[in-house]
Amino acid sequence: MTALIEFIASHRAEFVARLGEHVVLVLASTMIAAAIGIPLGILAARRPMIAKPIVGVANLAQTIPSLALFGFLIPLPLVGGIGTRTALVALTVYAVLPVLRATITGIQGVQASVIECAVAMGLTSRQVLRQVEWPLALPSILSGLRVAVVIGVGTATIASAIGAGGLGDYIFRGLAMVDSTVILAGAVPAALLALAFDGTLALAGRIADPRRRSTGAAIALALMLGAAAGGAVWASSGDGRRDVIVGSKNFTEQIVLGEIVAQVLERAGLSVERRFNLGGTAIAHQALVGGGIDTYVEYSGTSLTAIFNLPASADSSAVYQQIRDRYAALGITAMPRLGYDNTFAILVRAEDASRLGLKTIGDLNKFAGATAGFGYEFLERPDGFKGLSAAYGLQLAGQPRTMDLNLIYRAVAAREIDVTAGDATSGQIASNNLVVLADDRHYFPAYEAVPLVRADVLLKHPAIGEALRRLEGAISADDMRRMNFAVDGEKQDPGQVVRAFLDRIKRL
Amino acid sequence: MLSDVSLTVNSGEVLALVGRSGSGKTTLLRLINRLLEPDAGQIIIQGRPARDWDPIALRRATGYVIQDAGLFPHMTVAANVAVVPRLLAWPEDRVCARVDELLTMIGLAPQTYRDRWPDQLSGGERQRVGLARALAADPQLLLMDEPFGALDPITKSELHAEFKRLQAALRRTVILVTHDMAEAFTIADRVAVLCDGEICACDTPAAVRASTDPRVSALVASR
Repeated sequence: MTALIEFIASHRAEFVARLGEHVVLVLASTMIAAAIGIPLGILAARRPMIAKPIVGVANLAQTIPSLALFGFLIPLPLVGGIGTRTALVALTVYAVLPVLRATITGIQGVQASVIECAVAMGLTSRQVLRQVEWPLALPSILSGLRVAVVIGVGTATIASAIGAGGLGDYIFRGLAMVDSTVILAGAVPAALLALAFDGTLALAGRIADPRRRSTGAAIALALMLGAAAGGAVWASSGDGRRDVIVGSKNFTEQIVLGEIVAQVLERAGLSVERRFNLGGTAIAHQALVGGGIDTYVEYSGTSLTAIFNLPASADSSAVYQQIRDRYAALGITAMPRLGYDNTFAILVRAEDASRLGLKTIGDLNKFAGATAGFGYEFLERPDGFKGLSAAYGLQLAGQPRTMDLNLIYRAVAAREIDVTAGDATSGQIASNNLVVLADDRHYFPAYEAVPLVRADVLLKHPAIGEALRRLEGAISADDMRRMNFAVDGEKQDPGQVVRAFLDRIKRL
Repeated sequence: MLSDVSLTVNSGEVLALVGRSGSGKTTLLRLINRLLEPDAGQIIIQGRPARDWDPIALRRATGYVIQDAGLFPHMTVAANVAVVPRLLAWPEDRVCARVDELLTMIGLAPQTYRDRWPDQLSGGERQRVGLARALAADPQLLLMDEPFGALDPITKSELHAEFKRLQAALRRTVILVTHDMAEAFTIADRVAVLCDGEICACDTPAAVRASTDPRVSALVASR
């Protein structure tokens, strides 16, 4: 608990910004959902014929897993892309159903005799709605909004994966760094936020009930909503647009690399916004092309195979040339390489390696009954598992399991799986007592770290190019492994680890 | 449902529509304030065909009371009674005076009952408020659908007496649907008997009681 408070206190400005983004996401999506769901619910309650299809569609939308929904939305024009807009669309989709259902239930729950009297007394159908159905349905509608808001606070944490920020940033960062304090820095405020929103709407419910209405409660609600909206807008606006937005994917090394680029640019006098923890290669690439971020560090082999769908190659210079040309066509400049090669490493427990005499990847066939587990990407990619088993003629027991990239090292150490493919520079290799099997057939292509920058941003801020060129060849695999371990194994703050590293190499 | 129904209600009289369940009493009542529209035939209200009336204006000029009163649960007694006067945009002080006048008239002290909520009232009190609400804008025509149907016998006879006292003073045209022959004979000036969608008797209580029509005498005997 103390660690949590200390962490939040030492990241105060960033924490306030993330919290603000979270509140904006939830409030805005709930309001849009209310603007859609309430009129639609009223319509559906009056015409049961159309109620079924409307509720059906909303139900269907609700069953789509949130990450899958983000995935669907990213390639779409207008609503898609990366960042806040896409997140708002997805969150709204989830919030509509509870609001819609509650509205239908509320309106249909008004006693028939009450409506009959209202009509017979000469209320027009509009007056019946406004003076009778609406006030009587309001408690139900508000309870629907409460459900929507609480779901929204939870779902909004996932928005971080598509660069929309929010408290989910801490949860994903904490997962990547295997640091429960950082996870809690996202999870605990999110839970408190859900309670606060729920309480606010409970107060709103009191005001909606004519029997318990009080001016004091109304003023309190207005103040709370005003404070939430104002504070959120203030917090998420920051001090306007920064010079450059630095992105990263969602594992420790990427966060360290993002931090290196960010600090180098800050030392060059630029103002930097960090959008780390993007949920994968495709999302980071989309973000860069679409302008959601201005720069991030990619691995040459990943660009070649996963982005440009070209055959893998172990010739690192040729790979770099190829991707530089391809990126140039997209308006993106590939900067000079940082120096180390983060290729895949096939990992086993050190004790198994010495017991069975495992040295190379081909030796895995001596490991009878070994189960493999990989990150999602490694199983799918052409330069991943399929090519590997063909190149080495591997005969593993059963289908490999898919698991989160951040969990694979611990999964091997915990004997859930026996073999995995990790990053050669991961700090978790040593901390989990794993060893790397040699790639003696040179199956894995080059994965050199290359900073990518949007060409228009480079033109606008030439200082970015100057600063990043000075990083050429500055980071060795050993440097990287040490920084990764400092963050993963020793739970140090990535910002401080990078600061110490940059002070040490004194190139800048 | 209804066929060949021809019925004249005189100004200032109480006409009871009686008949078994499903005989069409409520349907006939709802045709009058255009909650339902007839397939054929016409209804003439105060010399003017109902279809020439604006339905909203017609309903505001017609009182309507149903079983269990149908009070608006989110409004106080006073607000319930004030609905139609407010729709007619009466000045607020006139609305307040009218509410107090009506509550006094139906025997509920305004100071005590004005700010109560419908669920704080007994069944009899709710029914009285329903009647006050129907009378609020002083309509000439009052439609009542089983208004005393959900009350215990003692409260019911109290309200019958109350109703007769009020009607003696106000002399409104009242059409009252009931399945209770005793009620019809007690408070109506004339009784119309509906048998399967037709009118099989329409006369004073004494004449209906003496009817030899087997359908009518069966109903009279059932009380």
